[in-house]
Amino acid sequence: MTTSLAEAGTHRGSGQRTIGQWAAFLSLNIWFYTIGTLFSFVYVTLAGLWVLLCLAVTRNRRKTQYVIRRAISWYGWVIIRLPWPWARLKFVDYEPDAKPPFVVVLNHRSSSDAYVGAVLPIECVQVLNVWPNHVPFLRFMARIATYLSVREMPFEEFAAKGSRLLQQGCSVIAFPEGTRSGSTKLNSFHGACFRLAQMNRVKIVPMAVFGNERIPARGAPWLNPGKVILSKLVSVKPEQYEGMSAYKLKNMVRDMIAAHLEAQANEARGTAATGAKHAAR
Amino acid sequence: MTDDELIRAVNEVFIDSFEIPPEKLTPQALIFQDLGLDSLDVVDLVAAIQKRFKVQVRDDERVRSIRSMQDLYNYLILIRGEQKLG
Repeated sequence: MTTSLAEAGTHRGSGQRTIGQWAAFLSLNIWFYTIGTLFSFVYVTLAGLWVLLCLAVTRNRRKTQYVIRRAISWYGWVIIRLPWPWARLKFVDYEPDAKPPFVVVLNHRSSSDAYVGAVLPIECVQVLNVWPNHVPFLRFMARIATYLSVREMPFEEFAAKGSRLLQQGCSVIAFPEGTRSGSTKLNSFHGACFRLAQMNRVKIVPMAVFGNERIPARGAPWLNPGKVILSKLVSVKPEQYEGMSAYKLKNMVRDMIAAHLEAQANEARGTAATGAKHAAR
Repeated sequence: MTDDELIRAVNEVFIDSFEIPPEKLTPQALIFQDLGLDSLDVVDLVAAIQKRFKVQVRDDERVRSIRSMQDLYNYLILIRGEQKLG
């Protein structure tokens, strides 16, 4: 189900958009979809040629996979910043000196989450749900980058492939809610990626994505102006989860993300209330 | 083993295996939604129940229809008559 432009004309918190909000909304979408399409076409063509060249010259599968994964991340890096200044991304790293590989876990509110992992300057693959495999181009890219389609393989196969990646130094990014919440709600977590971290004794990096539940909203292609804050929290080290059940570990990490999101929501409410007071004076 | 003893023993499995606070273990609690277990946790749960009650339930189709703690209690009370629970 998609949302029409007329339906998109309602603005969260204030009912109908004002003229200024409409102008920002239209500018954002015209800019993003025009420049984004042009950029995608040029980038995919050039990156595709670069990958083919790497394959022909090096014939080294590992190096080629690295180039492909980084190329996908660079693409995501640009796409996630393209909506500026209407939709801004702020990245806060609470542990910048943490060394990969990690299992990175994020909350999942919007389809734009697929790009936010691109802000991490590391080689990584994503754990996918089924839907990207229904889009031939995404399926092709996911396959050559060896992304993990968790619903299409038994846990043993997921664990073996994930372990191989971690041993190669490649981090694994997962959305343990499984599917987009489409709201500010944080659903319960699935434990597969936490078991993978335990099996390989790697750090778990919780990341909290705040503010993108309408960029775009679930079931809608339109981006809404706003500010997204991506927080890379302090990692959970293997010695901290030693002997802990996967169930307890996933809930501990979920609580860390939930607490951070709650603090950000309180801060945003406080800022909004202060702004309203100033406006009323 | 009486029904009350069985319910207490099932709750102990959840507390020991998953460290779930006892107050969450109500008959109405849904195993996936309310307690937050996933399919892999259920594999661990089945193994823990088999070990605790010395029964074989892994291949029983009726396990698939269990949604809540009450369903689980009812199922184990039912198989108590079929298999001798330890």
